[in-house]
Amino acid sequence: MSEPAEQETIVIIDDDYAIRLSCKKILSKMGFRAETFEDGAQGLEGVARLKPGLAVVDLKMPGISGMEVIARIHEMDPEIVVVVITGYPTIDTAVAAMKCGAYDFLPKPFSPDELRLIVNRGLERRRLAIESRRAEVERALLKRRFVTFVSHQLQTPLVAIHQYLSVLKNLDHTEDAAAKRQQWFDRCLARTGEMQTIIKDWLTLARIEGDTLSRQRVKVDLKRIVADILATYEEMAGQNSVSLEARMPEDACCVRGDRNCLSVLFDNLIVNAIKYNKPGGKVTVSGEAREGEIEISVIDTGVGIPERYRQLLFDEFFRVEDEGCKKTAGTGLGLAISKKIVSEMGGSIVVESEVDAGSTFRVRLLAFRAQAGEEDNNRSPDELSSEEDTDRGR
Amino acid sequence: MPTSPRVLVIDDDEDFRASVRSLLENHGYVVFEADSGTDGLRKVVEHKPNLIVLDVMMKCCTEGYGVNQAIKHQEEYRDYRSIPVVMTSSIELSPDELFPMAGEVEMIRPDYYLTKPLDIPGFLQVVERAASACRSRNAGEA
Repeated sequence: MSEPAEQETIVIIDDDYAIRLSCKKILSKMGFRAETFEDGAQGLEGVARLKPGLAVVDLKMPGISGMEVIARIHEMDPEIVVVVITGYPTIDTAVAAMKCGAYDFLPKPFSPDELRLIVNRGLERRRLAIESRRAEVERALLKRRFVTFVSHQLQTPLVAIHQYLSVLKNLDHTEDAAAKRQQWFDRCLARTGEMQTIIKDWLTLARIEGDTLSRQRVKVDLKRIVADILATYEEMAGQNSVSLEARMPEDACCVRGDRNCLSVLFDNLIVNAIKYNKPGGKVTVSGEAREGEIEISVIDTGVGIPERYRQLLFDEFFRVEDEGCKKTAGTGLGLAISKKIVSEMGGSIVVESEVDAGSTFRVRLLAFRAQAGEEDNNRSPDELSSEEDTDRGR
Repeated sequence: MPTSPRVLVIDDDEDFRASVRSLLENHGYVVFEADSGTDGLRKVVEHKPNLIVLDVMMKCCTEGYGVNQAIKHQEEYRDYRSIPVVMTSSIELSPDELFPMAGEVEMIRPDYYLTKPLDIPGFLQVVERAASACRSRNAGEA
């Protein structure tokens, strides 16, 4: 943790001058801002004003009792850590103080070390409580955002289907309905398919994150994966007047992973490259095997991605919805899924783009390395045995 | 013989436009379509409809409200200010709930606000009322 922490304030409330002085000295030396008060009323004012992280409170004071002070501080802000000090420690008073909201008990006389210990522990606990509260709020917000987003995604096709059906009912007797019925049934079916894809994609994303997707960890040649995908999309690319090309090296481009996941990963990138392309455009998938790493780039000559969207591109909630932007089918989750798979494999994915010229998605994955005992017929025996020596030496 | 009332449907969902078009045509309306706010405003000027059915189009910066605002507020569209706007949305929230700060920003309300999917008889009633009111107003002005 190299960031300089904001100076924490500690408040000391004790009618004993000597205690106030020594506590202030000890705590100031620890780097805290220490403020002292000689009775409960002033102490409470001080707490309200200074908003400390921790307060040291003496139980026996004239005026407002220590117990009352503890209770009031706790009411003001339950996250302020209260340490009780007293010259008359008993189990009963200890319990009573805890019930009022105190964190811990320090019987007088106490040594500087004892004070330091209790203060550090108390503040650490407070820090953790604040952090976990923040995380919870964030989680709740994310959840709500997700629910709103997905509901809307599913709502749109549902509304369209509902509309078709209710209009068909209303126009049941007309010629127009008879003529349009079949076409509209097809549209309803298409929109149903759309909803199924949305659900499937969200489930895929959840399963990758949740680690419940059954995954193999075998040797996979990315050249094969890429070739298979390009073959699948040849027709669709043709329909869009987009040409496809693979520029892969002579050697195999092997990684360790799951064949299906790797297919999905590159499928999403290649499909996007075709969809967001221009008529007469091109999609090139190039590969490079470097030391310990395989890099696959999917390059298109398409519409490009404006600078302001590039940060958000891999976010599951993000979809470029600029007016006039081509309305393409799909859930918008493709990139989020691809990124998750890449991250899972310890790789990286970056995008370079120029509006109206095209985009390049670069995926870097760790090259396949045979583990001890595994056969790897791509490598020469010399390489293999020297590698095993290195492994053993570790 | 009176000409058929003209309705402009502005919605980015082509299926929604298709079903509403059939419905309205079969009930004696002439229907024009637009798939975006910009396209919609252009067609308002081109066709001068008696009614506008306008989707909120929340996906892109509350497009629908932008169109509504333009028609009812901007100088450029003053000739079209009297055209009633039926706003449609799959969100149940009323304009007030959607834009709680609206009081400060002179938010212009649409004339009608219907939730999708549309209740057909209700929708037809609203269309009839709004379009004929506009036409008689125009006839009166002529």
